[in-house]
Amino acid sequence: MPADGKPAQVLSSLPDNVSVDELTREFLIESQEGLDRMERCLTELEERPEDRELLAEIFRAVHTIKGTTGFLGFSRLESLAHAGENLLGLLRDGKLSANGDIVSGLLALLDILREILGSIEASGHEGHGDDAGMIHRLHALQRSSPQDANYESSSALAAGLPSTDTSPNASAKKKRTRKTKAEAGAVITPLNDAETAQAQETTGAIEVYQAEPQTVQARAAVNAAESTLRVDVDLLNRMMNLVGELVLTRNQILQMVSTDASLAILSRRLDMVTADLREAVMKARMQPVSHVFSKFPRLVRDLAQQLNKRVRLVMEGQETELDKSLLEAIKDPLTHSVRNAIDHGIEMPNAREAAGKDPEGTLRLRAYQEGSHVVIEVSDDGGGMKVERIRDKALERKLITRERAAQLSDRELMQLIFLPGFSTAEAITNVSGRGVGMDVVRTNVEKIGGKVEIDSRAGKGTTLRLRIPLTLAIVPALIVHSRGQSFALPQGELSELVYLSVEQVAAQVEWMEGAALYRLRGKLLPLVFLGSLLKQQEQANDLRGAYIAVLNAEGRRYGLVVDSLADPEEIVVKPLSSVLKRTGLFSGATVLGNGEMALILDPGAIAMQSNISMALEDDEPAVLDANVTDGTDEYLLMQSTGEHVAVPLESVLRIERIPRAQIERLNGTPVLRFAGTLLPLKDGTGEEAASQDGEMTVVVCRDGERHVGVAVAQVLDVASGKPLNEAGTNAVASDVALLKDRVTSIVDLKRIPVLPSARLPQGEWVETWEADGVTEVSA
Amino acid sequence: MMPALLLQTAAVDEAIEMCSVRVGQTFFGIPVTCILEILGKPAKQPVPLAPSYIGGLVHYRGEVLTAVSLRSLLDMPAHDATEDILVFEGSDGYFGLLVDEVGEVMTVLPADFESNPSTLDDRRKALFAGTYKLSNSLLVMLEPERLDPVRLAEAAPP
Repeated sequence: MPADGKPAQVLSSLPDNVSVDELTREFLIESQEGLDRMERCLTELEERPEDRELLAEIFRAVHTIKGTTGFLGFSRLESLAHAGENLLGLLRDGKLSANGDIVSGLLALLDILREILGSIEASGHEGHGDDAGMIHRLHALQRSSPQDANYESSSALAAGLPSTDTSPNASAKKKRTRKTKAEAGAVITPLNDAETAQAQETTGAIEVYQAEPQTVQARAAVNAAESTLRVDVDLLNRMMNLVGELVLTRNQILQMVSTDASLAILSRRLDMVTADLREAVMKARMQPVSHVFSKFPRLVRDLAQQLNKRVRLVMEGQETELDKSLLEAIKDPLTHSVRNAIDHGIEMPNAREAAGKDPEGTLRLRAYQEGSHVVIEVSDDGGGMKVERIRDKALERKLITRERAAQLSDRELMQLIFLPGFSTAEAITNVSGRGVGMDVVRTNVEKIGGKVEIDSRAGKGTTLRLRIPLTLAIVPALIVHSRGQSFALPQGELSELVYLSVEQVAAQVEWMEGAALYRLRGKLLPLVFLGSLLKQQEQANDLRGAYIAVLNAEGRRYGLVVDSLADPEEIVVKPLSSVLKRTGLFSGATVLGNGEMALILDPGAIAMQSNISMALEDDEPAVLDANVTDGTDEYLLMQSTGEHVAVPLESVLRIERIPRAQIERLNGTPVLRFAGTLLPLKDGTGEEAASQDGEMTVVVCRDGERHVGVAVAQVLDVASGKPLNEAGTNAVASDVALLKDRVTSIVDLKRIPVLPSARLPQGEWVETWEADGVTEVSA
Repeated sequence: MMPALLLQTAAVDEAIEMCSVRVGQTFFGIPVTCILEILGKPAKQPVPLAPSYIGGLVHYRGEVLTAVSLRSLLDMPAHDATEDILVFEGSDGYFGLLVDEVGEVMTVLPADFESNPSTLDDRRKALFAGTYKLSNSLLVMLEPERLDPVRLAEAAPP
């Protein structure tokens, strides 16, 4: 058998491949994946030491490495994997039960295997290292178990087996024979005492007998693998670019063909196919967050041990998918946050007990999709952050002035931890606390268009929320014009638009020592003039109206003043060359539907450059929320046929522009079908106004539980008004308010007819009504 | 690649094909082998706040091409006429060079090459590679490498 051991050694001493060949590359990828799985399983194993599935999975990972290294000639890997496999074999067969030491030993093995794989990837050979210590440790672990005696006897029993073992094996498949030989050969090297060698031999035998079910399992795994395909990320990136091009070309075609009917149908089809293709390619780039999450069990385990803390990791929503490049980008910030949570967040077990908490802390990683964002939460049930301490620390580090600190709210103080050079940890530990923490997290997340929020309660714990866009490549944007040039403004940061006529620009933009301000619903909004910010050349000095785009970039709220607006468009983000990135205000460029190029504005950078400070979250007037009633009410002012009408702002849900042809009638009541629901309508446009235009504005309002629509020619403004008293009676006149010094009738939403379904709750009737009424109308 | 090419051809003493371009009254020559494409009078988009030598952005095969303006590099007044663009590969992807007009392709002999005269101002010395003596005029040699926006940015920090 020692003679059999040689071939592996000889193979490894063959000239090292300088470039890694295809086979080796495949082996590397497979092994890395196997090790990732193994790492995940090992940490779980500690909690469920008897779980056979986990053990089988770990065994498979090591076994695969060992099997492949045999003919690739990586002797270090082989002997290490073999030693690990022996230990795992015992675990799998229930002869040993996994304890902390064994898991630690296997994790250490994993690290060495990873290191060697890394070396192979980099240089083509395994690198030099002494593995005897590791192998010895694994062997020691085999003997450490209380069931050891039991095992020895069985090994003694099995000691007679080798002869019977090799003979069926020789007739078995060639591959398996080689495996056994290699295995048996590697065994010899590290062992000195005969007894263990004998035991070793037996494990080899056990391995052979179990090779059968093993292969079956492997085959099942291969079948699963057949339905998937490895694709080069570069290729995917290129596909994404091409799809982006297609989207642009489609946009251009859609703008051109509006005249020709048959071409319009074709282009509609092109539109659909493009959208589907885009979705498919984007889908191909998606990976579940479990790819990143999977490394945390190990990290948490190691950290907790290092810090003598007890931490339970709970992970939710691992199937949530995110673009691969984004996933890569959040890896570091997330690791940082997890480290922080364990180091600074979760207290020592005795401190926790003293505070009446479970001595074992809980760290929760949660991922979920919310609209066009994926939210990843890292929350702990630790000590939380004391606002006072944050303030003191910030003062001590001279990050803010005392006056400023006094003005800040708790929430705002909390955000100070994102400042560079901030750390509240009393002592700098190995793990974190060097003051390069949260600011890095924030910068990295913001770099990919995400946001970071923090929420903490002293004594209760801290939640860090990373909000990541689903994809970077294609974003909805509003096209704005400034002095004849088009710019794209990402809609994510846009909260509302305000139009100012020429007179309003003169009258309502207020100046405070050079700083322009606008009163938006009673609050001062700092204004940034895009034209002057970009130092664009002044055009002929004709007075025109202006639009204020109210932006909210990372809590910085301001109004960007532009000359005019164009349609919103889905834009494909093209990176700028490094020279142009230095201007700092643009996040990229894009080609618009009309073939024109446009620079993409970066609302965050503009805010920073214009010194817009972060607002308090509570300060931001929620447009649709109703808590602004202070004697006067706010109304949405609209232009109906010939007169102004209004609805209370608090009831407005959204505003849509819809072709008039979409209005249908049901028992005389105008209705709209809207995303599968039926919306009763008050038609305030009048027929003649409609026929001229073809489009109308529908203000969707909330009336109690139901939603109703008010169709008008256009929406004018938001105005606050007081109720009017009726002359003589002094009673408050209903449905009338004084808005902008004009008597305006308020639409009574309750008078909009209730739909039959609500009136007659009987199921049958509703069904027939739906079947007959609506389908007929729509047909 | 460029300096190597220059040396090589000089050594071999073979005729070099140059694309001539005009900016103002001066004719410049660029080796045709390093030109990826010539775009005739494309629409360009100015970039506010960019360094002055950036002539604008141009849509080129799905990419956004940063175009360097030879005119402003030479401190010549901007003019309204649309310009032609030569596309090169730079250290940071493709870039374009805006010139008044692209002329013909001509052959020059390495023997006719002379390096920059010492009387030339430093800025131009940095931009030009030298000149070829034609029968009745001079053809100023340009190397795309020297016009790479990345390199220009390093030379003149904004």
